[in-house]
Amino acid sequence: MKPRVAFFDFSSCEGCQLQIANLEEEILDLINLVDVVSFREVMKEHSEKYDIAIIEGSIMRPMDVERLKKIRKNAKILIALGACATIGGINKIRNQWPPHNVKREVYGDIDLEGNPYFDAFQTKAVDEVVKVDYYIHGCPINRDEFKRIITSIVLGKNPEIPTYPVCVECKKNENICLFELGKFCLGPITRAGCNAICPTNGSPCEGCRGILKKPQIECVMEILKRYELTYDEMKSRCKMYNYAKEEC
Amino acid sequence: MEKNFNVNVEHVTRVEGHGNIVLNVEEGKVEKVQWQISEAPRFFEAMLRGRPYHELRAITSRICGICSIGHSLASLKATEDALDIDISEQSQIFRRLAINAENMQSHILHVGYLAVPDLFGFGSVFPLVGSKNQDTLLKIVELHRLSNEMSDLICGRTTHPIRLVVGGFSMFPTQKELTNIKEKLKKGLEKTEQVAEVIKKVAGNFPDFQRETEYIGLSSDEEYALYDGDIASTDTGKHIQYKDYKSIMQEYVVPHSTAKHAKHSRDSYMVGALARFNLNSSQLHPIAKEVANMFSLKPICYNPFMNNIAQLVEFVHNIEDSIKKIDELLSEGIYNEKPEEAEIKQGRGVGIVEVPRGILVHDYTLDKQGKCTKANCIIPTNQNHANIQKDMEKLVPKIINKPKEEIELNLEMLVRAYDPCISCSTHYLDVEFR
Amino acid sequence: MSKYNEVKTILKNDFNIFVDNLINSGEFEVIGVKSKSERFIFDKLENSNQLRLYYDVTILPPKKYFLPPVEMLINFDLKKSSKPKELIDKKPRIIIGVHPYDIVAIEQMDKVYLDSQKDDFYKKRRDNTIIIGSDIQNVSKRSFALSMGTNVVESGFDLLLTDIGNKYIITIGTKKGKNLIDQFASVRESKNSEIRKIYKTRNSAALQYKRKTNIQKEEWSKYLAANFDNTLWEERSNKCLECSSCTMVCPTCYCYDVQDSVSLNMSEGVRYRTWDGCLLRDFTKIGSGEIFRESKISRYRHRFYRKGNYLRERYGFVACVGCGRCGTACLPDIADPCEVINELSQFDKTEDTNKYIIKEKTKTPEKGTIHIPQNATIKQKKELTYRETLFEIELDNKKPLGHKPGQFVEVSIFGTGEAPISISSPPSDKPVFQLVVRKVGNVTSKLFTLKVGDKIGIRGPFGNGFDIKAMEGKDIIFVCAGLGVAPLRSLIKHVTNNKNRKRFKDLKILYGCREPNEAMFLDEFDGLKMLDDFTCKLTVDNCPKGECWEYDIGLITTLFPKIDFEKKKSKDTVAIICGPPIVYKFVIKSLKDLNIPDKNIFVSLERRMKCGVGKCGHCQINGVYVCKEGPVFRYDQVKELPEALE
Repeated sequence: MKPRVAFFDFSSCEGCQLQIANLEEEILDLINLVDVVSFREVMKEHSEKYDIAIIEGSIMRPMDVERLKKIRKNAKILIALGACATIGGINKIRNQWPPHNVKREVYGDIDLEGNPYFDAFQTKAVDEVVKVDYYIHGCPINRDEFKRIITSIVLGKNPEIPTYPVCVECKKNENICLFELGKFCLGPITRAGCNAICPTNGSPCEGCRGILKKPQIECVMEILKRYELTYDEMKSRCKMYNYAKEEC
Repeated sequence: MEKNFNVNVEHVTRVEGHGNIVLNVEEGKVEKVQWQISEAPRFFEAMLRGRPYHELRAITSRICGICSIGHSLASLKATEDALDIDISEQSQIFRRLAINAENMQSHILHVGYLAVPDLFGFGSVFPLVGSKNQDTLLKIVELHRLSNEMSDLICGRTTHPIRLVVGGFSMFPTQKELTNIKEKLKKGLEKTEQVAEVIKKVAGNFPDFQRETEYIGLSSDEEYALYDGDIASTDTGKHIQYKDYKSIMQEYVVPHSTAKHAKHSRDSYMVGALARFNLNSSQLHPIAKEVANMFSLKPICYNPFMNNIAQLVEFVHNIEDSIKKIDELLSEGIYNEKPEEAEIKQGRGVGIVEVPRGILVHDYTLDKQGKCTKANCIIPTNQNHANIQKDMEKLVPKIINKPKEEIELNLEMLVRAYDPCISCSTHYLDVEFR
Repeated sequence: MSKYNEVKTILKNDFNIFVDNLINSGEFEVIGVKSKSERFIFDKLENSNQLRLYYDVTILPPKKYFLPPVEMLINFDLKKSSKPKELIDKKPRIIIGVHPYDIVAIEQMDKVYLDSQKDDFYKKRRDNTIIIGSDIQNVSKRSFALSMGTNVVESGFDLLLTDIGNKYIITIGTKKGKNLIDQFASVRESKNSEIRKIYKTRNSAALQYKRKTNIQKEEWSKYLAANFDNTLWEERSNKCLECSSCTMVCPTCYCYDVQDSVSLNMSEGVRYRTWDGCLLRDFTKIGSGEIFRESKISRYRHRFYRKGNYLRERYGFVACVGCGRCGTACLPDIADPCEVINELSQFDKTEDTNKYIIKEKTKTPEKGTIHIPQNATIKQKKELTYRETLFEIELDNKKPLGHKPGQFVEVSIFGTGEAPISISSPPSDKPVFQLVVRKVGNVTSKLFTLKVGDKIGIRGPFGNGFDIKAMEGKDIIFVCAGLGVAPLRSLIKHVTNNKNRKRFKDLKILYGCREPNEAMFLDEFDGLKMLDDFTCKLTVDNCPKGECWEYDIGLITTLFPKIDFEKKKSKDTVAIICGPPIVYKFVIKSLKDLNIPDKNIFVSLERRMKCGVGKCGHCQINGVYVCKEGPVFRYDQVKELPEALE
């Protein structure tokens, strides 16, 4: 029996689900492989019976937490799709400020107390609320990686995602290192799997697939010195996708 | 027909983002009809606080997955306007190609995957697989693939484009790559005409509904405006002072919606493909005009369901336009220019483009270090919410005697016709940071 | 320049015509040095104007044409039963502009990839490629090729170009090169004045080298051998990002990983290989999750030892050609061997340079291509414990595997991957052999789902096997801990069969595992107990309440006092240990307490084995390839190896 797959979205731009639509002709292969029972963006039908739940988006409000927990209970396997779900992504930028501060900035002094739609807490990634079985990183996801992970799950194989940095893929593509061009790239500490798409297109890596390991401070200072970059620039870059309370 | 019933569509399907349709009928009278936006606010405006000018594009791109190129371009135009940067001729053309590609991708996705299933009576595009119309579905898929290939080529990646930077592009395609895509576009044109034939056969299933309203979009003397132009209205004509867009797009808060509504000379107005068609149809390329004729689409068309057809017409126009622009580039040759340098200074800039769903405005104020202190955006779908509400109010009494499922379907089709991008629309409000 | 080489002169215009002729002939893929922004790369030439022979260094070395960053190996189909297709690239190529240091690097790679277990993919590319080298004109600022003697070469090329101003001198290296010129180029005899200019060009380039090593490259090995625990490794590796950029751009690095990819239709798939790097944290990780070279210091250090010591001792060359690519690529700038060796040169050196490799040659036979598995069928499947199952496999060609006890095979399941499994049955004339498999990772889990009659692939046998000769005429103690009983069973059954038994003396088996439910082959051990001169002791670390166990309880080392051992016989006793790494230290101590000499103790070590033929690099213990010099080792050979038994 084909595994039943349901897609769910929370706070996101839906760009990751769009990548699945962008599989083009291969969507037919996908629906041969699995039974898509719920995919709000492209189909009307919906079912509460599914084996695999794919979640896009971050969790922002108590009502989202409830919805997510229900999904986790229904599903045997839960996959976090895209940076918003896997690491919080861009949505976490606002965690630099407390929620009430952010709400006031946006909506002014309107009393939104008790309105569940606006009851936002600090942005959370999906695994800060429920257990995630597999991660598909990226902003947006890489379609080839999506295919690989889905086929691995169906084959009963543990889909290993890279634990090495983007530099490996960048070098295999024979790109000129962006540091040599005076830019600050997060590639050396960001998880690979995207085939270094941003550096290959001339743009420094923003770390959307998650930071692997914080480098030691001696290393950071050495690099900043060698390439004449500023500490502020580096901090600003780190804060885009990987904002965490500790200093980068 | 029941005298008392409720229609409650929570999270309308086959639209981007979360919206609800609520209809309460008591004693045969419409008590309440509402188009509600329930999308979670993501507080984007807060996220731009203090960010340097060169990061704004990457962040705003993430407002929406489908119109990320559009947001990127509006963002870049606003930044370049604030810093007084003029991009090169070559970049101008490539940006127009980028916007064409996005328009194509979005329209064919919307018409093919999201709207057309209703015409066939299906819940999604999947039942077309294995049916006698599978061939058409495959053509639609190929056209979608072609649009994505084009935007991958120009922007490095379709969703969250990488190559679009302040001052131009980080990288350009080669002659060979452009020649390649041009050949594919030519073949795509043929396929589109075939798809249009098939849609024509079921286009009669669109309700014949009219409601006079105002249409707003960009307009330019030089071309069918998407990347550049002046704000224009079918009621009041062209409005040259682009920085004063607020006098036309007047936004206001509505209690039943997390997104704002907008109005101008009437209670509501519409933006999008139909609006652009109504304003600029004379500037369409020839084959696009033929397709419009095929569906008897003429300005000014007041049927919102025909927005779907206007999208199809624009799709054809975009292909023709792209082929022309690529020919222009190939004849001059492609230069590996670096993006124009920015002299960092204080300033305010406004960037306005047409994205698939309508006119989009980004308005930034930068401090003397080039960091953002104030941001505002007017999202196309925001501007349509009021129109959708008003259309529903007029449509419901006309169909009140139909079975409940049909009323529901018609209301959903109405919402879908606008091709709303709800995620975008809930994220931008007027805000000031200190 | 060797006086045996012919030289010709060609005008620069004529050279361009020559290159265009090559391109237009349609017979070759013509690769040359092109510019990429401010740097240079080897890439397909569309016309001769794109060539930039004045370049200093390319981003990636030409190794990418012999071992590509991603190379498709085998196409397979999971649904149709068609034969897997080998995807050897036979396209004829010409590479123009290879600098001397890169030529030297290619020759080094030949020694490894074209050894007795040659890599067919590499060989085909190599055979079909013509190398047109060019003398260096502009020296890259990080290069120290002069110190390495690789700034000029006398061989290794088919043709070599030297720019002498308005012309090139072409030095002819091979017949292939000569034919190419005869067919496509317009050349003339060189004048003596022109030939002298070759030296001028080379000398003036030599003057540009700013970076030099303080010691000769022959000395590298001595300084490295003496400084394994020097604090400089830690100081430098503190700044390491573990990004492996250094190995990616290096012309003498060639480790690779092999993976399987299946398309979304779950039918077609491909097995491919891609560059891997020893600096990466998971380079030595095995299915159970264990990582054998875990610390950053050890990984950082390993690269230098491999270049200057391990390969030097094994093949006779220092695996660094001074191209300077790693110095440019390393962001915190700690990768440059010139700097490292200069720092090291302040310390002591030693003449004892081969303590990190094993000098003894193992004869490994050539057996067809090294990548394609043979077809085999599962004949029997028997569950041994809750996580181990015995598989009986038969090769489809009905020939015996031809293995020795202690060897292993790579079990291949297309779509999932490969896993190394020790062979559990003794050598035999029959085509069946047995494997004991523990379910730990992807391949083993998949194997467990297969049924009798299902097909798998087998590569091998690999490894050196137990040294049976060293055991002849001696008493033997077999120490089997946990899953270590699997490979030892092969040896035990071989030694105890009727034909062989009398070659060996007194036999003792000590077998221990954690709990009774993990014990395997108890019935076979019971059977062996009936033989003469045979002792068999079994133990578990701990027996949970309610479980039945009639033998000893206690760690495996507690069995030693219980065996009847005369210390005076220790010199004629051989001990063989196989088990999890933690066990070795304690068991060896027990054996030393019995005065058994180091060279009489054998261990079987596990590492991550991928290719099985000493090329992919994952199984290295210092300079030793576990798949070639092991997995069986003599204790005296490995006790000084820092990475072996820690």
